[in-house]
Amino acid sequence: MTDSKTLQYPPLRRRLYSVWYRHMRVYTRNLLSNGFPPFVEPFIFLVGIGLGLGNYITEPIGGVRYIEFLGAGLLVTTAMFTSAFECSFGTFIRLEFEKVYDGMLAAPITVNNLIVGEMIWAGSKGLFFSFAVLCILSAFKIISLPYGLLAPLVGFLTGVMFAALSLLVTSFVKTINHFNFYFTGFISPIFFFSGVVFPIENLPRPVQPLAEIVPLTHSVRLVRSICMNNYKPILLLDLLYIAVFILVVGYFAIRRLRKRLVN
Amino acid sequence: MLSKEVVVQMTKTAINVENMSKSFGKIRAVRNLSFSVESGSCFGFLGPNGAGKTTAMKIIYGKCTRDKNPNSRMDIFGYDPATNELAIKYLSGVVQQENNLDDELNVIQNLRIYSRFYNMPVKVATQRIESLLDFLELSEKKKSKIKDLSGGMKRRLVIARALLNSPRLLILDEPTTGLDPQVRHLIWDKIRQLQKNETTVLLTTHYMEEAFQLCNRLIIMHKGQNIMEGRPERLLKENMESYVLEVRDYEAAAQIAPEKLSTNVRADRGPDVMRYFSNQIDLLKDLADSHLKAGNYLIRQTNLEDVFLKATGRQLNDRQ
Repeated sequence: MTDSKTLQYPPLRRRLYSVWYRHMRVYTRNLLSNGFPPFVEPFIFLVGIGLGLGNYITEPIGGVRYIEFLGAGLLVTTAMFTSAFECSFGTFIRLEFEKVYDGMLAAPITVNNLIVGEMIWAGSKGLFFSFAVLCILSAFKIISLPYGLLAPLVGFLTGVMFAALSLLVTSFVKTINHFNFYFTGFISPIFFFSGVVFPIENLPRPVQPLAEIVPLTHSVRLVRSICMNNYKPILLLDLLYIAVFILVVGYFAIRRLRKRLVN
Repeated sequence: MLSKEVVVQMTKTAINVENMSKSFGKIRAVRNLSFSVESGSCFGFLGPNGAGKTTAMKIIYGKCTRDKNPNSRMDIFGYDPATNELAIKYLSGVVQQENNLDDELNVIQNLRIYSRFYNMPVKVATQRIESLLDFLELSEKKKSKIKDLSGGMKRRLVIARALLNSPRLLILDEPTTGLDPQVRHLIWDKIRQLQKNETTVLLTTHYMEEAFQLCNRLIIMHKGQNIMEGRPERLLKENMESYVLEVRDYEAAAQIAPEKLSTNVRADRGPDVMRYFSNQIDLLKDLADSHLKAGNYLIRQTNLEDVFLKATGRQLNDRQ
């Protein structure tokens, strides 16, 4: 007896969405405690560093007041930090301690879907955190609004970029403490040397090309142009860098994590 | 194109596996395993820890990839997990050994998240979740936090999650390990009900009672290999005498001289207990009456556990 029945498993975009939806639901479960920091942190930072320290920096930087210079940078550093945490500690906990991925992979999604969904989620968090900074900046009239509204999109790209990188790092990590090397050795330094707190032109000349290798530099240049509404052709190279970085690093992250998820 | 089509072959055989092997480095977790499962039946994998039961299950639902071998074939409702994992996952529900629930969410939210993985419309999902919570007797707990659930409730919730998409194949990896008898019997009962609805069940366990209660057919695995296969009653009948006399005290057992034993009695010296097997209970009774004091021995019917221990050995191996 052969009788066949047609069923349909979800298409790619629904599979990615279901991964994204899972993370979104878990994140918004504690909306107050999770949603508070992205607004409060930039506020404290601007008050402490921007207004406090900024009073001593009277010279304009790149044609703007120091607080405007710093504020624009914060739009992307916040996306970097949230995404880096999400896809390092967060991913590692889901992978090793909570075994969340084991359950998800029994549902009709592939390892690729799972990891790409993870990156899109981290990008979304980057967008949201960037938006939170935008709210604070516009409340303090540090940013002029119609142009600035595009900034969260750079937050999204920054989020995806650091998700890919952090997932690749996670694929090497055996114990959770190893992430300290990543954060102290990589994430913290690039906060200071990617043109966020001072322009990269102020770095010693031989070191300047190194800053171009660092992913955040390109996000910073994009977001500054958006804030100042001043677009230059070099931004196309920054966009290209980001696209290539996401594809190449993302590809290796998926390849390496697959080995840990499917044996 | 909106969706991928999955065509389900409603044939008599749900699963057919030939020469499935899996190595992790030097360890050969599964060696040339072949079996087939009838549609709507419950098929059991028995074996000590490390026998390869879980690995075999994982290969079926695509969590593990089998070793490449031209003679190896797998057919799960017409699909091979190496090329069509999504179709198989869509048709299956999996209860893994660990309860990997989302602790941040409550009972109903845990199920709702998973309904998205199957692309269920919200309305359909809500009804399905209600009926599953009812089926697994969790309706009163639907708003509870996961950490407030007992072990048995968590297990039932994981089973409910596996049943969301009304799977044609239910994979249960040690579903009742560590649960109390009440919950265990409840779960057995539910599995039987599912079978009546033509759900094919794959089950791993090391509880012989569970295998005996549920499985239409089972294989006993040892060191990755299939060492015995059949219906539970037949396995028992064909490999084991009907009765056993167990003597817990070696000094007492020493009274029974091996050369005086009837040819219809088989002696088996275990690490702690001396056992005499026979199909004739009178022979064992005579043996006990003439050599042993009351309270020193026990005569009982043999069970699947005796078959299991005979087949897999009484000593621990390096993987246990």
